[in-house]
Amino acid sequence: MMSHEQASELLGAYALDAVEGEELAELERHLDECPRCRAELDSLRDVAGALGTGVETVPEGLWSSIAGRLPERAPEETPPPMPRLVRRTAGEGGSRQRRGRRALATLGAVAVALAAVAAVLGVGLINANNRADNLQRAATARSSTVAAALHTPGHRVVDLRDGKHMLALQFVVVPDGRGYLLSSHLPALATGRTYQLWGIGTPHPVSLGLLGSDPGEATFTMAGARRPTVLALTAEPAGGTAAPTGPILATGAV
Amino acid sequence: MQQIDEVSDAQLVISIARFSEVALAEAYRRHGGAVYGLAKRVLHNATEAEDVAQEVFLRLWNQPDRFDASRGSLRSYLLAQAHARAVDAVRSSASRRQRESREAMRTAEAGYDMQHEVWDLAVAEQVAGAMAGLPEGERRAIELAYFDGHTYREVAQLLGQPEGTVKSRIRNGMRRLRAALADKGVRGVDA
Repeated sequence: MMSHEQASELLGAYALDAVEGEELAELERHLDECPRCRAELDSLRDVAGALGTGVETVPEGLWSSIAGRLPERAPEETPPPMPRLVRRTAGEGGSRQRRGRRALATLGAVAVALAAVAAVLGVGLINANNRADNLQRAATARSSTVAAALHTPGHRVVDLRDGKHMLALQFVVVPDGRGYLLSSHLPALATGRTYQLWGIGTPHPVSLGLLGSDPGEATFTMAGARRPTVLALTAEPAGGTAAPTGPILATGAV
Repeated sequence: MQQIDEVSDAQLVISIARFSEVALAEAYRRHGGAVYGLAKRVLHNATEAEDVAQEVFLRLWNQPDRFDASRGSLRSYLLAQAHARAVDAVRSSASRRQRESREAMRTAEAGYDMQHEVWDLAVAEQVAGAMAGLPEGERRAIELAYFDGHTYREVAQLLGQPEGTVKSRIRNGMRRLRAALADKGVRGVDA
């Protein structure tokens, strides 16, 4: 059994991949159990990363070799383009955003701002799959905006519970009306369906935005003089609806 | 909607987990040069370095959940992968290759992100400065281990020093580097 001191002494060499054999196995066993050593190792690995940072001419065919070996791509599809070499100007790529805005306007939720569902890179939550979920949740928990919200004075955590009082969703809501998804325990919906969040307590239910079929990260804003007092969740056709059509799946008081 | 080149590395990895090739391409654009560069520096062989870089990015594609953003940057993670693989390759070859003299690091051409390249150059410069500030014994031990792929025991033999001394020198040198780099505000390195 390797002592903490012995392990700690080896971490520098370990971060450089310079430990071998039985000693390596023992050190890794210790690392499994010692958060202090893991933290030290993480920071030494960053040093190693800096040490290994250089600039090298990348061979031209390297990216196409990688792209050609990606197993998930159907053979008839064209390989992804070479990574872009110039930064996109602000004007480009705006059409998607504009389309998004129009679609939102048709929801009739004009007065209330949208939900910036984490349609990461346009891939969107609809294609969510299991391997992404854990990462997404972990990132959500860590993401700086959520963390910042949790540190904002006067913030509230709103639990949305279903009919059986089981926790379905948690949002953290800050005093200016912005809300951030903290955690989701919702099952993934079928393709073509989306969760939609509503504000209730206003004259009509107001759409606070779409959460996708498998909520991972979402924000919403409650604006205007009359703020909703209750958040409610329904499942709707992808694209959302102007007024709730599905049964209320979960609710929570703000 | 964020542009692909504006999302964080952690978000990129999430998109890679969703099988976004665009996201993998962006990760390559940001870090491919560094990954390939480190592999080549350890292996002294362009073809083998390409193999290592391919494996590193394919692994990111196949097992994106191995990257834990709470434990460090994507860059550190990918470089650690590249280094481990390169070192394995060096150690498994029965007779160590005749090492060429180190190639001067060249300025990157096409295929790599300019912004990252500029940042990499700055980091490389700061690392060179920090390394130069280390006591000779510590610097030598770290170089032999990291860039030549020797174990610390091998380093001890090469330098004719006790293993314990080399072990401590590597650790102390790494800590000294960490303090120096954190002092210079190198991203990702905290004291």
